Amino acid sequence: MRRRNIALTASAGIAAGALGLTSLALPAGAQNPRLPQVSADELVASVMESDPPALAGRVTVHNELGLPALPGTGETGELLSGGDKSLRVWYDGQQRQRLSIPSGNGETTVVDDGNTVWKWDSAQRTVVKHPNSEETEVERPEPSTGAEPGEIAQRLVGKLRETSAVRVDGTASVAGRDAYELVLTPKPDERTKLREVRIAVDAEDRIPLRVEVNANGSSEPALRAGFSELSTGPQDAELFQFTPPENARVRTAEKPDTTKPDTPRSGRSGITSPRIEGDGWDTVVLSRLPEGTMSSPSGRKTDDDEQRGTGSTGPRAMAERVGSPISGSWGHGWVINSSVGSAVLTSDGRVAAGAVPQQVLIEALRDS
Amino acid sequence: MSGTADATEAGTATVPASGWDEPEPALCTSALRKTYGGTVAVADVDLSVPRGAVLGMLGPNGSGKTTTIRMLLGLTEPTAGSVELLGHRVPEQTGRALPFVGALVEGPGFHPFLSGRRNLLRCAAMEPALFGADVRGAVQQALERVGLAGAAERRYRSYSLGMKQRLGLAAALLVPRELVVLDEPTNGLDPAGTREVRRIIAELHANGTTVVVSSHLLSEVEATCTHAAVLQGGTLIAQGELKTLLESGGPNLLVSVSDNESGLEALRQLGVPARVEGGELRVELSGTDSPEVIAALVRAGVGVYEARRDRAGLEEIFARLTEGET
Amino acid sequence: MTGTASRVELPSGIRQHHSAPFGRVVGSELGWVLRRPRNLLALLGLAALPVLIGTVITITGGPGGGSGLFAAVVGNGMVLPVLSLMLTQNLLLPLIIAMVAADGLAGEAANGTLRGLLLAPVGRVRLVVVKALGVLMMVLLAIGVVVLSGVLTGLLIVGGDGLVTLSGTTLPLGEALGRVALAAGWCAVQMAAVGAVALAISSTTEHSLLVLIATVGALVVFGVLEAIPSLDWLKPVLITTDWYSISDVLSDPIRTTDLLSGLWRAGCYILLGFSAAVARMATKDT
Repeated sequence: MRRRNIALTASAGIAAGALGLTSLALPAGAQNPRLPQVSADELVASVMESDPPALAGRVTVHNELGLPALPGTGETGELLSGGDKSLRVWYDGQQRQRLSIPSGNGETTVVDDGNTVWKWDSAQRTVVKHPNSEETEVERPEPSTGAEPGEIAQRLVGKLRETSAVRVDGTASVAGRDAYELVLTPKPDERTKLREVRIAVDAEDRIPLRVEVNANGSSEPALRAGFSELSTGPQDAELFQFTPPENARVRTAEKPDTTKPDTPRSGRSGITSPRIEGDGWDTVVLSRLPEGTMSSPSGRKTDDDEQRGTGSTGPRAMAERVGSPISGSWGHGWVINSSVGSAVLTSDGRVAAGAVPQQVLIEALRDS
Repeated sequence: MSGTADATEAGTATVPASGWDEPEPALCTSALRKTYGGTVAVADVDLSVPRGAVLGMLGPNGSGKTTTIRMLLGLTEPTAGSVELLGHRVPEQTGRALPFVGALVEGPGFHPFLSGRRNLLRCAAMEPALFGADVRGAVQQALERVGLAGAAERRYRSYSLGMKQRLGLAAALLVPRELVVLDEPTNGLDPAGTREVRRIIAELHANGTTVVVSSHLLSEVEATCTHAAVLQGGTLIAQGELKTLLESGGPNLLVSVSDNESGLEALRQLGVPARVEGGELRVELSGTDSPEVIAALVRAGVGVYEARRDRAGLEEIFARLTEGET
Repeated sequence: MTGTASRVELPSGIRQHHSAPFGRVVGSELGWVLRRPRNLLALLGLAALPVLIGTVITITGGPGGGSGLFAAVVGNGMVLPVLSLMLTQNLLLPLIIAMVAADGLAGEAANGTLRGLLLAPVGRVRLVVVKALGVLMMVLLAIGVVVLSGVLTGLLIVGGDGLVTLSGTTLPLGEALGRVALAAGWCAVQMAAVGAVALAISSTTEHSLLVLIATVGALVVFGVLEAIPSLDWLKPVLITTDWYSISDVLSDPIRTTDLLSGLWRAGCYILLGFSAAVARMATKDT
C-alpha cells in the first residue's frame, strides 16, 4: 500500500470518529409525527380516563429555573437546582411502583409494593418504611393522575378555561413515541411570569409524556420534565419488592414523613397550613413559619391545577444568602426570584410564593 | 541447521555473476531531493552503487549524507526524485527490499534498560529472515562477531560508546544481507574498534555484500572502499571507483620553497589558489601554468628548491570541501 | 558455512516473507513492555491501592454516610473493585497508559529504536497495530490488577456476602462478580480510548514527557470544561463525561443509558486516535 493511500484511509477513520462524537452532541432530530386531529377537551378527557399501563422508563428533568442550589434539600433540591437530572421509574399497571433517583455516586430507591413504601438511601444506608401508602408519589405526574374518574376531566377543563386558553398545538415525538402537545396559555389578565405550559400526551396510551414550563422572555423552557426512555409492557414483579439489605438501618415512619424536607408530603402536613390567595395563574400561597424557628428548614412546593412555579424558602440564613433584601409597608424581608416565580420571606416568618412577579407577592403580603 | 549457519556467516557467495538482475545496481537514485521548509538538505543526487561494491559516502558534517541514507532506506520521504533499492522502488516497496538490507543509521539505537542480548533479541524478533529457533543462535553469533559476547548480559545503559556502536553493527548484521548501510560506523570507536569495523566491512565485501559506508574521514574511505561518492552541501560532486577518483582532478604543482608564508602571499596576490601541504606549497594550475607560478615566487624573493607536477585526488577535493565548511 | 550460490546466500524463507511472523512481533512487544521496570512498578502500585482503600475504610468504618461509593463499601466488599476502578480511572490509569503509549512511539523515536523497527522491516501500519496491542495489554493488565486486588481485598478484608447494590437489593457473589467484570470491561474500553489518543500524540513527537503532559492535561482540562455550566453542549464529546457512570453497574437493574453512551464515545475516540496514529506514522519522516 502506498503511504498516501494509508494516510487517506486513516484520515477517513479520523473523520468517522469525529462524526461519531458529533452525533453524540447533536440531539436526535425526530420528526414531529402526523396524527389524527383531536380537540383539547377530548385529549384532556382521554388522559383523565386512561389507566397508565405497566411501564419502565427514564424521566429526565431539565431545569433552568434559575434557582440557587439550596443545600440540605436532598434529591428534590438536586432535581430543582439546575441542569439535567434523570430518574428511572417502573410501574406495574396497578399500584406497585419503583422509583430510582441517582444522587452523586449513590442512589435513592423508592419501592411501593402495594402495602408498604420502602425508601432506601444508599449513602446513608437507611431504609424508611411507610406501611401506609394510600397516596402515591407526587413526583410522578403520570400514574398519579390516572386513577381519577372521568368527569373530573370536564370540570377540570372548565376550570382551566376560566383562566387559560387550552388548545392542542401540533404533535411531538417524546422518547420515541408519538404525542399530542396540549398547551395551556394564561389569559392576558393573569399576572404571571409564565408564558405557557406544554404537555405532551402519548397518542396511544394517553399518558402525559412530557411537561414543559415556559416563562416570559425566554424561548427555552424553564422546566422540562418528561420521559427520555419509555417502554410499556409487563414488568418483572421482583422490581416491586424490596427486602432491606442485611446491615441497613430500617426505620418505620409512624406517619407520613415530616422530618425530611425533601419529601413532597411535607407541604401537606407542614407546621402552618398555607393560605391561598387569588386563583388561576397568579395564585399566591401565603404561609407562616413557626415562631422563633426561622433557623429550621421548611420546604414548600405548591401544586395548583397544573404544574406551576415553585416557591421555596429555607431558614433565614439561607434566605439572606440567596435572596435580596426588600422592605415596604408590609415589613421587611428577602425575595428570591426565579424565571418562573418568586418567593418572599419576611423577617417575622411570613412566606409568600407564586408563579408571579414579586410585586404580586408584596401586594398579597400587604393585604394579609 | 543450514539456515542458522547461513544466518551467522553473513553469506558465503561472491558478487552476482550471472543473476537475473545482473546489470542492475544494488542502489540507485535519480534527481533525489529533500527540502525542509526552505532549506535544501539534498539536491538532485544521482547516485548509483554497483552490486558488490563498497561505497564510501564522503562529506563533511551537514553535507546531506545521513539525509540521503534515510531516503535510501525509506525512513524519510524524498521531496522529489526516486530511489531504487535492490530493484524495488522506495518508499512504496521499501518493505520488499528491507529484509535484505542491514543498516546502522544515525548511531546505535537501543533500550537502556535491556541487556545487549535482550536488545538484539528484540531486533531479531522483527527480522523476517529468522525463524523460531534461529533467533537465539543468530543473536549469539552476531554478538560474537562484534566481540560483545562477554558483555551480552549487561544492560545497554552501562555500555561504553564503542560497545554501543558494536551492538549497532551486530543488529545490522543479524542475518546475511545483500546490502549493508553503515552511517559513520567508526564513530566513537578506538583504533582497535576501527580496525575491527574495517575487517567486518572487508569480510562483507568478500562475501559479495554491497556496502555503503558514510564517513567524514577520507582515510576510512580509502582504507575500506572500492567506490566513493562525495557530497557537499547536499550536492553530489563526485562519484565513481575510488581508484579513478583518486587520480582525477585538475593538474597541480607541488613547490618546495624557502618560505611558505611569503610564497602563499605572493601567489594570493597573483590570484592563484594555493595552500601548504606537507611542508610544500600545493598550487592549482587551473588558471595559470608552471613557469608563471615559479616566476611569481622568484619575483617575490622566495627561493624555489623543487617543483613537480601532481594531480589533485580525492583527498584534494575533500580537503577543499572541508576547509570551505569550517 | 556452505555457500554455493552465485549470489549472497540468504535463508530461503526470506524470499517468501517480507515481514516477521505477527505473533512473534507482538510477543516481543509485550515482553518489552513488561520488562520495563517502571511499568512493573506501576502495576505494583495499582495492586496496592485497593488494599489501602479497603483497609482504611474497614478500620475507620467508612466516611460515616458521606458521599457516593465510599459509604457503600463498608461491609460490602464487592463495591471495592468498582470504587477502585472509579478512583484510578480518573488520573492514575490514564497516566500509566499514557506512559506506555509514550514509550511506544515517542520513546522509541527518541531512543533511535523506531528506525530499527522500521528497517527490520516492520511495516508502518503494522507497527502502529503492534504498539496499540502493547498499550491494550497494559490497559487490561492494569485494570486486571486493580480488579483482582479489589476483589481479594473486598472478600478478605472488607467482607460481605454478595453485593448490596446501590438500589438496596442484594446480589449473590456470582452475580456480583459479573457486575465487577462488567465494570472492568467498561473501564477497559474507556482506557483503551485514552491509550489510542495517547498513541496518536505519541506518534507526533519524540518527547515522551510531552505525551504524558498532553494526555493527562487534556483529561484535566476536560474535567474543568465539564464543570462549566455554559459549556454543557461540549459535554457529549468529552471522553470523561460518563466516567463516573461506572458506578451504574452497581444499580439494580443496571443503569445502562450513560454506560452505553460512554461506550459509543470511547469507541469513537479509539477510532479517532488509532486512525490519527496510523495517518501520522504512514507519512512520518524518521
